[in-house]
Amino acid sequence: MEKILSKKSFPQWVKKLSSYTIYAPVKKDDLWEYDVIDKPESIDFDYPNAVLSPKKIIFPQREILLEFSSSNEEGLQVKEILPGETPSVIFGVRPCDGKALTLTDKVFGGDFQDPYYWNRRNSIIVVGLSCSIPPSPDCFCLSVDGSPHSREGLDILMTDLGDRYFTETLTKKGDKLINLAKNLFKPPTTKDKKDAQKIHVESEKKINRQIKATKKIPPKLKGMFDSPFWDEESLSCIRCGICTYLCPTCHCFDINDEVSSSSPIKGQRIRTWDNCQFPDFTMHSSGHNPRPDRASRLRQRILHKFQYFVEKHKNYQCTGCGRCISKCPVGIDIIEVLDKVRDYGS
Amino acid sequence: MVRVEDIKKEAKKALEEEKVKYIIGYEKGANGVLPIPAFIKKPEDIDRIIWDPACVYNLSRFLLDEKRSKSKEKEPDERPVGLVVKGCDSRAINVLIQEKFINREDVYIIGISCENTGVLDEKKLAKKLKGKQPEKTEFGEKDKFIIKTKDGKIEIPAEEILAERCLECKANFPVVYDVLFGEKVKRPLENPFKSIEKMDSLPKEEKWAFWKEQIDKCIRCYACRSVCPMCYCDECVADTISFAVTADTTAEEKAQKIKWIEKSPVSSENFVYHLVRAIHLAGRCIDCGECERVCPVDIPLRFLNKKLEKEAKELFGYEVGFDPDQPSLVSCFKDEDPEDFIR
Amino acid sequence: MDHNAYIPRLAKLIDIKEEVSGARPIKTFRTEFFIKNDFSFRCGQCAMLSVFGKGESMISISSSPLMKDYLQFSILKMGRVTSSLHEMQIGDLIGIRGPYGNGFPIEDWKGKKLIFIGGGIGLAPIWSVLHTALGKKDDYGDITLIYGARTSKDLVFREELEELRKKMTVHLSVDVEEQGWEEFVGFVPQNVTDKKPSPENAITVTCGPPIMIKFVIQALEELGFKDEQIYTTVENKMKCGIGKCGRCNIGLHYVCKDGPVYSWAELKKLPQEY
Repeated sequence: MEKILSKKSFPQWVKKLSSYTIYAPVKKDDLWEYDVIDKPESIDFDYPNAVLSPKKIIFPQREILLEFSSSNEEGLQVKEILPGETPSVIFGVRPCDGKALTLTDKVFGGDFQDPYYWNRRNSIIVVGLSCSIPPSPDCFCLSVDGSPHSREGLDILMTDLGDRYFTETLTKKGDKLINLAKNLFKPPTTKDKKDAQKIHVESEKKINRQIKATKKIPPKLKGMFDSPFWDEESLSCIRCGICTYLCPTCHCFDINDEVSSSSPIKGQRIRTWDNCQFPDFTMHSSGHNPRPDRASRLRQRILHKFQYFVEKHKNYQCTGCGRCISKCPVGIDIIEVLDKVRDYGS
Repeated sequence: MVRVEDIKKEAKKALEEEKVKYIIGYEKGANGVLPIPAFIKKPEDIDRIIWDPACVYNLSRFLLDEKRSKSKEKEPDERPVGLVVKGCDSRAINVLIQEKFINREDVYIIGISCENTGVLDEKKLAKKLKGKQPEKTEFGEKDKFIIKTKDGKIEIPAEEILAERCLECKANFPVVYDVLFGEKVKRPLENPFKSIEKMDSLPKEEKWAFWKEQIDKCIRCYACRSVCPMCYCDECVADTISFAVTADTTAEEKAQKIKWIEKSPVSSENFVYHLVRAIHLAGRCIDCGECERVCPVDIPLRFLNKKLEKEAKELFGYEVGFDPDQPSLVSCFKDEDPEDFIR
Repeated sequence: MDHNAYIPRLAKLIDIKEEVSGARPIKTFRTEFFIKNDFSFRCGQCAMLSVFGKGESMISISSSPLMKDYLQFSILKMGRVTSSLHEMQIGDLIGIRGPYGNGFPIEDWKGKKLIFIGGGIGLAPIWSVLHTALGKKDDYGDITLIYGARTSKDLVFREELEELRKKMTVHLSVDVEEQGWEEFVGFVPQNVTDKKPSPENAITVTCGPPIMIKFVIQALEELGFKDEQIYTTVENKMKCGIGKCGRCNIGLHYVCKDGPVYSWAELKKLPQEY
């Protein structure tokens, strides 16, 4: 359903959601991040994009999988530790981050449903905010089948019309959230609908960067595995983890046991984010490393996002948020690399 | 004023005469004002080289990769690598030579003086421009920077947008070089440790609260370590289980390796990582400020390193990166070293 | 799937046998689940063994699915987890989760001759499919095993191999001359060339060190075997075992899910990154 919510009423709506944990973008020093909100009045939507996407709420950087302990009476015990299904709402999610959730859904679903991911995902309501202006000079959502007003992965999409929000619910969860404060929402007038439409159309024209003919890239990449192209492109990579940790679609993780007592044994099995750009990511115990150099790791990142994922899931594993471009310490630019791929050899 | 044509001419000559394997310099990035590192192998490509106030990177970091790839080659090319350096960057090279990680002959240093200014801080510039996107930056006359946006050019006094470390610069022209461009002008520096004075004076509880909040932000991306020219250990304290494994490492050795830090980005592990790294850089950090610049969550890492730099100076009279022949701080002992902590 | 795939089931070590001692020891472990369950698997599949406090390791199940009393794993002492396993006693508990992977397409091989070629610890993944085939001997043609190791002390399943000779053809080899050794002396690929198995209506399965696999495939191609007739298993570093952590991929395949069993025809098409 489509509704109008005046900006003045927005804090009242949030107050009605007291049974939910509320997340929204919060400014700390000069950077924005998603954090739990105590005061609805403090939610400020005049922000670019958070450094870490809301993926960190649904797939946190550190997660306990199980606990193990040993005692004389009971022997070795293994206990599953699932995250609680705390009803939560995340406000202010940009459409690129919303679309990224549909991509991580594909990874954590499938044959083996990941209960840690889904417990959180199913209990979180994602309220998106369309981008009237691009949040970053490096945004390129249009080039990867996205848009500044995309509805994918979201339960509600809000569009800023100046003094009011055009609010569209996209799922039953979204309907439920609006119905908790029914009296604050009005049906939209024809002008409201026209204004929202105008903002959406205009916002697409403001996106600064693009990859031309993205469709040509996956088939081109297929033939470039052995190419020396990757050696040249990866010369400046310093093998940190910024591009992958900041990416809203990346999902690689590590599993380690953390021991708090070794005798009797007691500890936890922890899942943490991991990174295909770290040199030891694929290293075997024997010391053999299938990806021993930066070229092979850069190749893995690009091929995974723009060829393997496309073949498997029919989607680019990239939503054009631009974080990897803005934050790469040495200015490696994924749009540049992809443009060169498309034109390689011709 | 430094003219980029002079730099290009010298670099091109070095390539044509095959004096160097390749030149590492700055070239225009695809987006924004920051340049990207350029690896120029052919003299014809020399026009890619630029020099402007946005050339913030410390390119001496790439000497580490050069050494690593050289060690893997059967018949390595023994010619030096040409490197464009600023004053701070050149001190890093001195430390690498001091620690015998590289030899002086491995690098052909094209030094550029920052004269009376330095390099700009992207965030300060963004604040100054109030949302307008900068497209190009240039050195102007009278210590000003010229910033070009799509609305035209504006002149900003350099002091207002200089990087923090430039305000505490000890060497605004290279201290070691094969060829130098620009004048050897020394910026006046009254108080080299002014930036940490406030922090130093805070009571313990406030210091702890400040650092806990900052370190909790850390996502352990290791960008600070990856960008630092001094962090060249094959096996870092943060990843002991992984690196130095070969086919000959026995199972016992692998099984008994101590894991100093867990991978979890929690307060305790993050603190150990950052503090151990700061201590390992005591007497080695030249304050190029790259660690702080690259941090995606804006942790003020320079404070940690600066504090140890202050201790090194006050306790041992030690200054980093000016003399490649001095012994390293933590591996030498002088009779005059303070002993008041020995009871 | 309701069961949380990350949680291992507890299992007891009911038998531990030292196959190879020395600098690169191999032990064979037999496990029994603490709580009886319906764990069933196909030959060629693997399981994640947990040593709580140390970590997990993906090991191929070397017993046949026909054996219902226990699961058997033959493990080379390599690093942290495997060293811990080697120090365990009978009665100790470990965790097992699985089975993972695609297994050998043994139903497609009915009526064909089976030639198993292994080197060193590589006999362990073959052991499962070899015994499954022997258990249904009438379904298959002649079964042959060509197996070798560095020295006679490095051969695994030594006594069982002698038993096998009564039921099928077994050709053994060691890399260098040894006192008392009367069979072939040389590398496994050379033994393959020496024994000249015929490619007609045959399937070969080869497992062992990557360099051995490379030369075995060469030797088989020279004997006229086609790519679809040659099967092997691939190894990669694994953590989750269920195709989510992103670590073990070769191209768009996750070795833990889409492998580890591949025909040479399939493997050739994937990026050579393993």
